[in-house]
Amino acid sequence: MHAEDVRRLPAPVSYAVLLIILLGAALLALSSGAYPVAIDDLLRMFTGNTPDDPTAELVLWDIRIPRLLLGLLTGAVLAVSGALLQGLFRNPLADPGLIGVSSGAALAAVAVIVLGGSGLAGWSALAGRWALPLAAFIGGSVTTLLAWRIARRQGQTSVALLLLAGIAINAIAGAGTGLLTFYADDNALRSLTFWTMGSLAHARWEDLWLAGPWMLVTLIVAPLLARPLDAFLLGEPVAGHMGYSTDWVKRGAIVLAALGVGAAVAVTGLIGFVGLVIPHLLRQIFGAGHRLLLPACALGGGALLVLADCLARVIVAPAELPIGLMMALLGGPFFLMLLMRNRFV
Amino acid sequence: MRLTTITGVALALLFTLAAAAAVAGPRIVSADGAITETIVALDAADLLVGVDTTSQYPPQIIDSLPKIGYLRALPLEGVLSLKPSRLITTEEAGPDATLERLAAAGVDVVELPLARDVEATLKRIRRVGELVGHPAEARQLTTTMAADIDKVKAFMAGKTDARVLILLAAGDHGVMLAGQDTAADALLQALGLRNALANVSGYKPASREALLAAKPDAIVIAEARPGQFRPTDWPALTHLDAWQKGHRVTANAMLLLGFGPRLPEAMQTVAAILVNTAPGNDTAHAR
Repeated sequence: MHAEDVRRLPAPVSYAVLLIILLGAALLALSSGAYPVAIDDLLRMFTGNTPDDPTAELVLWDIRIPRLLLGLLTGAVLAVSGALLQGLFRNPLADPGLIGVSSGAALAAVAVIVLGGSGLAGWSALAGRWALPLAAFIGGSVTTLLAWRIARRQGQTSVALLLLAGIAINAIAGAGTGLLTFYADDNALRSLTFWTMGSLAHARWEDLWLAGPWMLVTLIVAPLLARPLDAFLLGEPVAGHMGYSTDWVKRGAIVLAALGVGAAVAVTGLIGFVGLVIPHLLRQIFGAGHRLLLPACALGGGALLVLADCLARVIVAPAELPIGLMMALLGGPFFLMLLMRNRFV
Repeated sequence: MRLTTITGVALALLFTLAAAAAVAGPRIVSADGAITETIVALDAADLLVGVDTTSQYPPQIIDSLPKIGYLRALPLEGVLSLKPSRLITTEEAGPDATLERLAAAGVDVVELPLARDVEATLKRIRRVGELVGHPAEARQLTTTMAADIDKVKAFMAGKTDARVLILLAAGDHGVMLAGQDTAADALLQALGLRNALANVSGYKPASREALLAAKPDAIVIAEARPGQFRPTDWPALTHLDAWQKGHRVTANAMLLLGFGPRLPEAMQTVAAILVNTAPGNDTAHAR
């Protein structure tokens, strides 16, 4: 089916299709994995009965459900943040990494991994098991704030300056990460490599309580920016004339993206690609208007990440592939194919 | 003729059944190459239901077992899917949260200390022997190993104090120098040898100039996979005296650095290249 045909579908139908994909992905995520859980057992557990295999119950409640929820939230937040920033920058190449949130989070996370036993021992002792996610969240927020402060001129935020500041800060944070990598010992080196490839495998209920609320804030508040971002598509002066406070729109988009992506990265590690590709793909179906696009991104991003996670955990079972790897492996060629068929950038 | 065949088959079947009944003991997942080697060496391979990716030896037994991935990134569900009663690994294993959750799920998670010297290696093997229910085999194995190690040490008399360079090779761009606080350094210490890189800590990317400056008396190359190190790509190394005089060896990294049941073999491998080495002052090992 060509993109042109898809676009003619009325929005409710497209939403219904997305929702069905999402539900399908969720069911697949609950029923697939290295540990075989019988369908009867799955049904029995959902109807409140005890399954034949007690381990199956543990696998479902303790592993698969938190993992599914974290995947849905993370995918949704990454895609919605991508859409917000693409709208803000009026550039289809924008993704959440651009404002420094991912590189800042990575720098802080790698610092905790490498220096947790030495230079940052105090922090590790203070924050305990949350040392890494909290540091990543703070790191992501600080770098984003820095990029944003640099882009402020006479009470206005320059979008172009924000982009350039983001690039410079990414480079600096990348260098810091590289330096830490160099000093890392063998153990730290391997841990940080896995962290930068992203994973939903460590999802626990505690992670959801910790990061979930921030991600939900982003998802719930983002639609409020839909109309002003639509006006932004016509150019900043036009948006101003239409009565929107352009500076508040910029602040809103940046804060929401930093908040959501920071929280997501903190518990999952780096997962690229979703933020860039999902908004692109769904713009083909829902058009450029953010009122339809943002909720669609939440559904589509969640579904894609959960599907990728299903594959990541069954392809080499009982081992698991990192999901960041899976996304690029699956999404890359698909995205390229889409580009070549539609030339829509 | 036919009858004997049938009797033979029946007997074989009986033996298999008996053997199967005998091993209805623990279901063990081993996440550490040296521990897996130990379990196999103790004749307990039939208890293994899965191993991690650092477990590669002996291939004829390991290759047929499910691989759970890397010991530092153990998959919770993946390990559970093998329904193990016990996970034997080292303190290097992770993530910690996964180990905690495995224990909570009823798996007996045993994290053994890292073995980085002869005593610890033998002790760990005896511990694994207890864990797999083969303590007598473990005692036997460690006695043999201790005797072999004594032989190597006797052979080494007068050759200690030589400065040895150890490289860890995982492909052309993955050649690392092994400094202090590494398994490679521990191997040298077990032999009473000195690391040629006194001021390097951990594994660091190899610099060609640093190789030349190290001026080692012998060179050991530990390969992650056979053939990964191509000497032709490292002219700085092949120009070293030690290389040209033949005081060098290339061997499997797991053999050299595993500190498992093949430790005597690893020590012999390094000791053998030191024959006729004349370090600066051969007698001055009062240090």
